[in-house]
Parts: sequence; C-alpha cells; structure tokens
Amino acid sequence: MSETICISIDGKVMAAQPGDSILQTRLHGPDAVTANIGCMGQGVCGSCRCLVRKAGERETVSRLACETVVEDGMQVSFIDYYLPDHVHRYRPHDLRDGWQALPQLQQTFPETAHCRHCGGCDRACPRGIPVQQGIALASRGELQAAAALFDPCIMCNLCTLACPENIRPNHVGLYLRRAQAIQNLRPGDLLRRLEQQARGQLAIDTTAHLARSES
Amino acid sequence: MSTAISYQQACLNRASHATPPLRADDLSRAALLAQYHPDHAADASTLLQIGSSRGQPCHPLLAGLLQSNALIDGFDLAGAEQRSTDVLVLGGGGAGAAAALTAARGGADVMLASKLRLGDSNTVMAEGGIQAALAASDSPQQHFDDAMRGGHNCADPQLLAQLASDAPGVIRWLIELGMHFDLVDASSDGGKLRYKQAGGCSQPRILSYRDYTGLEMMCVLRETVELEPGIQLLNRCPVVELLSHEDGSCAGAVLYDLEYQRFIVVSARQTILATGGCGRLHLQGFPTSNHYGATADGLVLAYRLGAQLRDMDAFQYHPTGVAWPQRLRGGLISEAARSAGAMLLNGLGERFVDELAPRDVVTAAILRECAAGRGIVRDGQQGVFLDLRRLCGPDLPALASQLPALQHLADKCGIDPTREPMLVYPTLHYQNGGVVIDSQGQSSVPGLLCAGEITGGIHGRNRLMGNALLDILAFGRRAGRQAARQAQAARNKSSLPPLRGGIEHVYRWQRQLALAGLDASQQAPLLYPGQARLTLHRPASARA
Ligand SMILES: Cc1cc2nc3c(=O)[nH]c(=O)nc-3n(C[C@H](O)[C@H](O)[C@H](O)COP(=O)(O)OP(=O)(O)OC[C@H]3O[C@@H](n4cnc5c(N)ncnc54)[C@H](O)[C@@H]3O)c2cc1C
Ligand code: SF4
Ligand code: SF4
Ligand code: FES
Repeated sequence: MSETICISIDGKVMAAQPGDSILQTRLHGPDAVTANIGCMGQGVCGSCRCLVRKAGERETVSRLACETVVEDGMQVSFIDYYLPDHVHRYRPHDLRDGWQALPQLQQTFPETAHCRHCGGCDRACPRGIPVQQGIALASRGELQAAAALFDPCIMCNLCTLACPENIRPNHVGLYLRRAQAIQNLRPGDLLRRLEQQARGQLAIDTTAHLARSES
Repeated sequence: MSTAISYQQACLNRASHATPPLRADDLSRAALLAQYHPDHAADASTLLQIGSSRGQPCHPLLAGLLQSNALIDGFDLAGAEQRSTDVLVLGGGGAGAAAALTAARGGADVMLASKLRLGDSNTVMAEGGIQAALAASDSPQQHFDDAMRGGHNCADPQLLAQLASDAPGVIRWLIELGMHFDLVDASSDGGKLRYKQAGGCSQPRILSYRDYTGLEMMCVLRETVELEPGIQLLNRCPVVELLSHEDGSCAGAVLYDLEYQRFIVVSARQTILATGGCGRLHLQGFPTSNHYGATADGLVLAYRLGAQLRDMDAFQYHPTGVAWPQRLRGGLISEAARSAGAMLLNGLGERFVDELAPRDVVTAAILRECAAGRGIVRDGQQGVFLDLRRLCGPDLPALASQLPALQHLADKCGIDPTREPMLVYPTLHYQNGGVVIDSQGQSSVPGLLCAGEITGGIHGRNRLMGNALLDILAFGRRAGRQAARQAQAARNKSSLPPLRGGIEHVYRWQRQLALAGLDASQQAPLLYPGQARLTLHRPASARA
C-alpha cells in the first residue's frame, strides 16, 4: 500500500497505513507503548479506550483503539484507567442469600436510584449495551433482566467514566451477574462428581499409560 | 518459494464441491510433524550454555533472552523505595489472580504487581473453555489419559494427575466467585453443564461460557481481587529483577513503577511468578494470538536466579489464526469453531486433515498445504479456508447466538460467514515448557513459586484445548495456598519484616556470561515488544 494518511494521537501527528487500527498506528510510533494495550485486536480487555473525533466532525466518541480503523485526519486521545475512590466493597460470600438481593443492591450501590436518564453511558459503550436500561431495570428490582443485558460487557469502564452520578453501571451489572451465578448455579453433574471425590473415589492411576504405550 | 492458489480461484474450487472430500493421507502423523511442525525446523532449537538447565534444548531466540544481562545494577537499588509483604505475586492474569486470592484467604498479606493492568493477559482472551471431567461416562482418569497422550507422553504424571483431580473443585470455586457456565437442560435437576468436544479428547469435556470463557472468568477474578482488602494491587509495575538471599533463595523482587518512573524494592517471604508465556517473541517468524505483554519476562528472571526449566523447545502453534485481513493477523479463531463443525479446505476445495486431530497435527497439515502450493493467497496473505457452512444452516441457531465472539470477528473481517470462508494460518499460541515445579508450585529455588503458562511439565510437549485455563487455576490456587503456609511458618519463627535481599545472583550470572563468552550487552527481560524500547534509566544528571 503506497498511500499514507495522517492521524493525531495524544496531540502528536503520525503517518498511518490505511487499513491499520489506531492501536497499530500507535505501536509504529516513536514512543514505547506501556499502557492502554492488552489483547491487541480481540476487543475483550477494554484497555485501549480512547476518544475519537473524525475530520470535519464535531462529535467525539469513545472507541476501542484496537477495533477502530484509522481515517485521514482523525484525532485520538487515549484514556487512562483509574480506580475511583468511592468503590463499594463486597465479597462473593455476601451474595449468597438471594432473599436479601434487593436491599443488598441498594446498600452496595446506593447511587443506582439516582440515574438521570441522561444516556451518557449508552453513548459511551463500545459494545452497544443498553446500559441505561440495565440500571433502570435494576432499580425497579428486575434483577435477572438487568443482569442479562450486561452479559457481553468487557468492563472497559467507559460507562462509569461517563456517568455524572457515579453509578458505576458496569460494576452494578457484574454484581448482579455474579449474584445470579452464586445463588442459582448448582449443576447436578458437578455436585455428583464432587460428592464422589469426597468419598475418595476416582483416584487416578498414573502408571496406566505406561502399560498402554508399551503394548 | 512455493506458489499458492488465488483467492478467487479457491472460492470457485470450493463452490464446485457441495460436500468437500477428505483427501486420504500418505504420511503418518509422526512424519507429518517431523517434516512440517515449526518446532522441528532446523533452526528452531539450540542448547543452553549456562544456568541450571545447561545442555538442554531451547528455542534460539528465547535462549538469547535467557542468557542475557540484567536490566539493573546495584546502583538502582540504592535509593529505591522499600516495601515488604508476606506474599508477592507477579503477574495479573488468571494464575496470578487465583494465587493472590488463595494466599489472602490463607491469611497472608499479599501484594500483586502486574506489568499491564490487572486482567490484561492471555486469560481474558481465552474463548474455547476449560476442561473438567464431569459426565457420568467420563472420569478424571480419562482426562489424565487424554492429556498424557496429547502431550506425547512427556507430561509429569504427578502434576497431570493433580490437574485432572482438581478440576471439579476449581469449577465449584469459580461458581462461588460468580462465574457463569453454559447449561443444557437448565430445567432438570439443577441443570447439567454443556460439554464441548476438544481435539484429541476421548469425549466432550470442555465447559464454557459462550465463546468468551476467559473474559467471563477474568472479569470475575479481577473484580474479586480489586475488592479484596488483603491484596495490595500495583498496576503498571513490571518486575525487572528478582532479589536473592545469600543462600540463593528468593527474597522478593524489584519493580519498576511506570507512573512515577522509579524502582520499588519489595521484600517478600514468598514470591509467586505468574507472568505467563512468550507469544510476543514471534518465534519462527509466526504471528501470535497472545496479548501484548507475553514476552517471557518471568522465565528470564527465574532462570537467572537458578530455577530449572524444561521443554523450552516445545511450543503450540494454533492452527486457526486469522490470515486476512492483515490488521487482524494472528488473532485467534477458537477451536470451538471446528468443534462445532467448521471445516478446513485447501485451495483445491479439499479437506486435508481431520479437523479435530491434535493441534500440532492440524497445524503441520496446514503448513504442508501451503508448502505444496495448495494454500490460498489473498492480498498477499497466505492460508487455507476455514469453512463455516456447516454452522450456518437455516435450521441451526444463528452464529451470533452460538459463537458470538466468532461472529464479532467475522464482522471485523468484513466476512459473511454464511457465504464466505475465513482465511486462516497457524499462529504462535502457547508455551508448552517452562519452569519446573513440584506439586505445590514450588520451583527449584527456595521461596520462589510459579504458576500458569510460565511453568512446564503439566502438559508435556503439546497441550489440549481447555487444559490451560484449568492449569492456571488449579496450580495458581496450590501456589497461593503453599505460599501462605510458608509465609506463616516464617512469621512464627520471627515477627520481624522479611529480610531484604540483594542481587548477588546477578553478579554471579555476569561471571558465568563472561566465562561462556556470551554477549553481556544484551539485556532482558524485554518487558514490552516492538521497536520503541522503554528506558528505565534517566540520564545520570537527572538522578536524585
Ligand atoms: C487467544 C487465546 C485463546 C485461548 N483460549 C484458551 C482456551 O479456550 N482454553 C484454555 O484452556 N486456554 C486457552 N488459552 C491459553 C490460556 O488462556 C493461557 O495459557 C492462560 O490464560 C495463561 O494464564 P497466565 O495467568 O499464566 O498468564 P496470562 O493470563 O498471560 O497473564 C500474565 C500476566 O503477567 C503479566 N506480566 C507479564 N510480564 C510481567 C512482568 N515483567 N512483571 C509483572 N507482570 C508481568 C501480564 O501483564 C499479565 O497480567 C488461550 C490463549 C490465547 C492467547
Ligand atoms: S457496559 Fe460499560 S464497561 Fe461494559 S462494555 Fe459497555 S461501556 Fe464498557
Ligand atoms: S450515565 Fe449514569 S445517570 Fe446517565 S443514564 Fe447512564 S447510569 Fe443514568
Ligand atoms: S487492546 Fe484489548 S480491547 Fe483493545
């Protein structure tokens, strides 16, 4: 490919190959890349979060740099990952009693009730998850339905960054999904196998394969 | 150079076969591997010249890093910040998270340092699933037998037996932390987990959550670690050297804090290395499926401190990496696709291998097609077709609900999988060998434990799908438990903070380098791949 284009990354103008992703372009640049990178194209780690403005457009959108193809004149700024101070702590153990699900959710994430329905989270989400609806369902007590919406979430935290009420919507979603598994998932085959092992059955003979390979 | 068939011609050849024929094979599996597997190439192995595995075969590129000089000297430690902890975990993938959580639960103070952000790792990328022998017709013994055979009878039988036996407990632990698994028949008897078939296995045994099992697993593990008060988390703090006591045991590690651009010396009673594998070294010039940080750092540091390694000439090249478009080259198409019925076709439209043969065999078969001119070339990229026709019928569930990650990938490639096949080529995927460990994850260096892809012996010379995710949790938990126990024992002897170590082992290593006539100007670990190198040292004038 002969044609090269120019994009700006964190204020530096760089030459880019058409067809490359923003992340690949950054890797070809002069600086060692030590952050905002992980899976490099699979789009699952959520570390390559950036803000993108296309040439001639006013709107800035949040994107995953490894999944976004460069266009001439694009302006990109990467967003650092941070852990906010107001993290609400809970332990998996606390989620065991499903009868307490509603009061516990309200206690752990009291901000959930303050949603302004501003839609900032929906606009931020690179996965197209209807985040705002998830929060609305959660505050109405429709916990299973809310949890299901967050199923494909990659925890990039862009919705958390966007939320003016500090709701941390993706963490609410993960909390609900975890509670669901912790309370409900009791596969019969697993229970049976654990019980057999507890009775001391199913020990492994580590020499059996030797006999076989000799025969 | 071999020629290849053009993409357009290959599409026509494919279309002319309603049911693609499977070509009969004239080579035995052993001969196929010997002629075409990258591990067997003439330039794929050399002998280590110094260190505790001297004389053993190793990939030359890796050997260069293993036999290199440290990044730091004593001067760097002089003014560095000092910290101490019971258990220091290095690496924030699944193995590191499992070790840290278990050690904290065992009563230890834990520090977890990771080069990238916690979770940005190979673990989060795993798609296929995790093995556990749960079916009534299955048993840990059969799990053991399959893995032993898959690894060419080279695995350590004790470690492998523990792997297979730990599986049910690991799955229970994951569910207790809040991880989901796919069920069949959720309505009856608490449901039954869905089993998928993996290549080289006697029966379906893979548990998964859709085709993003690793994402599901890592989200849960990361959240648990971040919310655990007993774990202090240091993101973006790669380990650049280990510390030693005079008796050669491990004393902790030196980290480099990227944010403040300074060294941190951590004295630890026990150190667990969980830094993963080496895919980003692009061995034999192959693309890789691995995350950005997979540069063999822990392996280099463990070896310098005296740990034994094994099977450092055995790597897994996954058969189905993306070959086109260039931008996504090396990215993985999970074995789940072949397990669900996807076919491999050459440029003539023939099937040329049983898609569910062990991975090394399928890889060698693809490389043979390309070498023999039956590969397919599109915009300069060579490969063979992965044909998804059988997954996309009118009476089948939509691909997007069966295998959402695959659909997402096809979308990114701009391919409609119901009509067009994907172009694939083997991609460097997994490091089969690594640090020798005992049943509790202890290396041959006292005070140094290892868990996850950095270790060797569990899978022999070829790992089966789904056994890595099991390995990192089974042995991550074992290492965490053991480290907490040892730290407790040390605390019972002395309540003083752990003794500070030094880098005497680095000086010893430098003498060995000189004696062997090796180039001491090459430094490792690499930390970050790519051409732009991170400089750890500010100019002397700027040092305080
Ligand atoms: C695309 C893909 C798909 C896969 N699919 C499957 C599957 O379906 N089933 C299966 O069983 N296996 C699968 N595997 C293999 C499996 O995911 C890995 O072997 C496993 O996750 C390794 O876990 P780990 O914790 O040892 O290393 P990783 O998860 O790679 O974590 C390594 C950690 O160490 C950190 N690190 C590296 N260097 C340093 C340093 N110098 N200092 C501090 N920290 C450092 C990294 O930042 C990272 O956090 C897959 C692998 C890939 C790449
Ligand atoms: S829901 Fe939030 S964290 Fe999840 S993918 Fe969307 S923006 Fe990212
Ligand atoms: S950004 Fe916050 S306040 Fe706005 S809709 Fe989303 S959750 Fe509600
Ligand atoms: S690098 Fe992982 S999502 Fe982009």
